[in-house]
Amino acid sequence: MKLFTHYSRVNILASILALVLGSIGYYFIIRTVLIHQLDETLSVEEAEILSHIQLKGQLPEPANYNDQQISYSPARAPVDRQFVNITRPDPFHHNESRSFRQLVFSVRAGGQIYTVSVSKSEEETKELQKIIMVVTAGMILLLLGILYLANRLLIRRLWRPFYQTLEELKGFNLSSHDTLSHTPTSIKEFRSLQQTVEQMTGQIRKDYDMLKAFADNASHEMQTPLAIINSKLDLMIQDQGLGEQHLRQLQAMYDAVSRLRQLNQSLLLLTKIENHQFEQTGLVVFAALIEKKLAQLEDLIKAKHITVTTDLQPCQLRMNPYLSDILLGNLLVNAIRHNYDKGAIHIHLQQDMLLVRNTGVPLSFDPSTIFDRFTKSAQSEGTGLGLAIVRQICDNYKFTLSYSNKEGWHTIRIGFSSLVV
Amino acid sequence: MKLLIVEDEKALSDSISSYLEQESFVCDQAESYKGALEKIEQHDYDCILLDISLQDGNGLELLKVLKSNHKGDGVLIISARNSLEDKVSGLKLGADDYLSKPFHLSELGARVAAIIRRRHSAGSNLIRLAEILIDIQARSVVVNGRTLDLTRKEYQLLLYFAYNKGRVVSKNAIAEHLWGDDTGGADNYDFIYTHIKNLRRKLMEAGAGDYIQSVYGMGYKLMLP
Repeated sequence: MKLFTHYSRVNILASILALVLGSIGYYFIIRTVLIHQLDETLSVEEAEILSHIQLKGQLPEPANYNDQQISYSPARAPVDRQFVNITRPDPFHHNESRSFRQLVFSVRAGGQIYTVSVSKSEEETKELQKIIMVVTAGMILLLLGILYLANRLLIRRLWRPFYQTLEELKGFNLSSHDTLSHTPTSIKEFRSLQQTVEQMTGQIRKDYDMLKAFADNASHEMQTPLAIINSKLDLMIQDQGLGEQHLRQLQAMYDAVSRLRQLNQSLLLLTKIENHQFEQTGLVVFAALIEKKLAQLEDLIKAKHITVTTDLQPCQLRMNPYLSDILLGNLLVNAIRHNYDKGAIHIHLQQDMLLVRNTGVPLSFDPSTIFDRFTKSAQSEGTGLGLAIVRQICDNYKFTLSYSNKEGWHTIRIGFSSLVV
Repeated sequence: MKLLIVEDEKALSDSISSYLEQESFVCDQAESYKGALEKIEQHDYDCILLDISLQDGNGLELLKVLKSNHKGDGVLIISARNSLEDKVSGLKLGADDYLSKPFHLSELGARVAAIIRRRHSAGSNLIRLAEILIDIQARSVVVNGRTLDLTRKEYQLLLYFAYNKGRVVSKNAIAEHLWGDDTGGADNYDFIYTHIKNLRRKLMEAGAGDYIQSVYGMGYKLMLP
């Protein structure tokens, strides 16, 4: 349920409840006030009658007006003074009756006790009450309506900064450098929210950038020492006095430096792809690129006696040529390196997807981590970054990437649907 | 032939210098932007090896100065940042080649030799190794008047040895030279052996001497008589 709906529901229900209770109370208060007024008029009549008796020693004339009647009846004993509500048949309308407020009291005139009843019609009061109630009801409805509309408009507007912040957070991407934009708001809470969110994302981004810059700098800083080691090795092997034993050790050093160099370059490449430093795109004809890569890898394929079959249909993608080269190179080297001697590779290319299948020993690790950095089998000579680079490239271009294993065949599938030209 | 090595890492600069001096190059060394500027103003060099990230300035600025002075020096950029932009801007500014760290001295030697050959012996595209004649323009190898039928890799190998003649070239350097980085370093060692075996056979069949020597299986050396 949306905040507005929830708030509105509670708000309207509470308003109705308050207004209904208020109206009931209001009705009774009005009624009491009006009756009290009537009673006062009756008391004034009583006072007039009493003063008349005192002056004249006899009862005034009884009166029988439409809205006020005064009547006397002899009584044996005085009655208690009291106000009562009575109804009398309506002289003008049959089957209807009219309500009266009546004051009953006793007087003594000429040695005789009389019960005096002064009554006044309540019709006017009732009419007034009715009008007040109708007006009140109208006001209530109007109030509710305006309340609802105002809430609707106001709340929508008031909460807009909140919803915008929410949307911004949903779309927040650590690796992109767009800053969050906020609509200025005068509401303290939202301003505080915006500030907090801004601070938080700013801090996260700063940490992330620092981490990335660190990785980048570390990799770059390593290049020069590696170059020094490499060059010193290159010089050492020129020494004719070195024996086989020494050269063997130098070879091991060479290999280690070579691995370190590859590792370093792969990490740098990953960072660069992550940072979208390969923006330039061109039309890449995939079938031709696959043929080219296979030709480049011919020696490796031949040495392992691997049979390569291809089924290449036209597929053109607009992407960075260097990245497409890396993508295919890594996939194919992977398929060769982790293959059996006399194994097989099958490459299937169609307009919207690429399948690279190869025979090979089952994975010694969890298949779901195959595209993670440094996931590799213990005996692998690789850096463990080849497929991580493949994934990073696929992520950049929003390609789908999956791995499956069936009957000794490892299959990597890339779906291009987002980029088909 | 006179070279200038502009590199702020003394150890690396020394390595380059002593490797290239074996090839009868005379090497000057500069460790800073200022030092390099002075040397460039005072001397003419056949080739300048230029590290673009110097402590006191950018090597690319040095390149601009060079080009605005219409100096004919060849320039090979050496960079720790293997970045495409640096490479492109360097080549645009008139550098002849670009090599990213770390590199093998034999690769550097080959690049320097190629730059100097292009700049100095204009019109002459021939490299003579005793009775072996390499025609770089035609990408062909002739021994005793007979053209050899070499594969691309065999030709690349021979040229690489020619540029580094008399020095041991490691298998790692050869693998990187022939296959580049992305096609799996150590996996290629066995093929080097095959390619070299074939190259030697073809050269000897054509009547050339057996000049390519193996150095305990860790590298090879082209030794001319």
